[in-house]
Amino acid sequence: MKKAPKSFEEGLERLQGILARMQEPDTPLAESVKLYAEAADLIQYCNKALDSAKLKIEEIDTRLSGASAGVGEADDGQ
Amino acid sequence: MADYIDVTTLNRLARRVLAQCEPLNNLIVCGEISNFTRHYKSGHLYFTLKDADSSVKAVMFRDKARLLNFEPQNGMLVLAYGNATLYERDGAFQVYADYMRPFGAGAAQMAFDALKKKLEAEGLFAAEHKRPLPVMPRCIGIVTSKTGAALKDVCQVMGRRWPLTRLLLAPVSVQGLEAEDSILDGIHALESRRDVELILITRGGGSKEDLWVFNSERIARAVYACPKPVVSAVGHEIDYTILDYVADLRAPTPSAAAELCVPDQNRIRSEIYSFGQNIQNSIQSAWQMCYNRFSTARPEQAMRIQRSAIAAKQQQTAEISARITRTANDALSRKQAALGASAGMAASLNPYAVLSRGYAMVLDETGGCRPVGALRPGQNITLKGDGAQADCTVTSVRSDREDPYEESTQKL
Repeated sequence: MKKAPKSFEEGLERLQGILARMQEPDTPLAESVKLYAEAADLIQYCNKALDSAKLKIEEIDTRLSGASAGVGEADDGQ
Repeated sequence: MADYIDVTTLNRLARRVLAQCEPLNNLIVCGEISNFTRHYKSGHLYFTLKDADSSVKAVMFRDKARLLNFEPQNGMLVLAYGNATLYERDGAFQVYADYMRPFGAGAAQMAFDALKKKLEAEGLFAAEHKRPLPVMPRCIGIVTSKTGAALKDVCQVMGRRWPLTRLLLAPVSVQGLEAEDSILDGIHALESRRDVELILITRGGGSKEDLWVFNSERIARAVYACPKPVVSAVGHEIDYTILDYVADLRAPTPSAAAELCVPDQNRIRSEIYSFGQNIQNSIQSAWQMCYNRFSTARPEQAMRIQRSAIAAKQQQTAEISARITRTANDALSRKQAALGASAGMAASLNPYAVLSRGYAMVLDETGGCRPVGALRPGQNITLKGDGAQADCTVTSVRSDREDPYEESTQKL
């Protein structure tokens, strides 16, 4: 079994690759079976990643970039 | 002679007096620009501000003029922020403007149009320069007010659509004098971070004046130079700013921007589902194909080979069998012929056969066949004939031939 994907995007990409490989007519059955098992794990991984995802918000200090001073208190946009 | 002062002293005195007048040190003057010149060498702006009744000289030094987000022109009504004092050398009372912005709809529009035309001519809005957005950004930088409704809207939409992303907020001031620098800082801070894949500059709705900072030439140039794709969403759908034109993608509202920046998880989920389906179908058809190949092609061929092999063997067997039969028959008839010949020969040599012709055999007491000459007188013998025998006693033995070597004469 291959390693778990590093990210959701990689998981999705690998699924795409597996499907393409499985649809090639010259893929041996033994390989297809292996790919099938890997795909099942990847689908589970991706669904789980979506289920457990929660939007993260971080704040950065814009003054660190040192362009110019004078960052005031953020204003309400409305 | 009366006391006098020189001109320099006068002007210095006047300037000191004016400097003590607090309102003059920090004021906003509304007036129309006339006699506008930009000094070709120093870059300072010299002009006159006037209204219906009066006029005042004004100057804006290059460092400040550089920060203007519009091109001042004669006839434009502006608000000039700064202070007013006396220019001692000329004894001229004038306004020193630190910042200016167009005042009133007409003037603002003129400034906007002028800047738009200029940047467009430079190619800042060119379609070829627009970059595609990442399909699934893992990290989005957002330049907006920390307390604004825009941030709330964006968070809500992204949390619902694509919670896998991470928002990096550069909290800025989106309104007021410092807004331009603040937004520039935000852009620069985010573009220098490697994890940021996309920058969203947004602000909720407001008056045209409120949104004015987004028409800044400096912001436009910063966005154009930004190495990462930039999405703009300023105000409402009807509001167009210079930023909208230069951004890689313009969204009508902050919520719409959030939708455009990330994919919809429901769509991705159904994509994953159909991946699963297709993979399932693939494995099944792979199995099916293998099974078909096995159950039709292979055994068929094997059977064919087997059948023809059997037929060949059968023929071979039949041939061998025929040959064996033939050989056996030949041998048998040869033997039979030999036997027939032998039997004839044997029959012709049969000693009993002569008995039928009237001859008799002389057998002694032991049953052995004896020649007559070997008999002795007194001996019991048996005469064997055809179908009968007689027991006799020899009375004498005589030789038929006159043989000098005959010792005795036998008598029957």
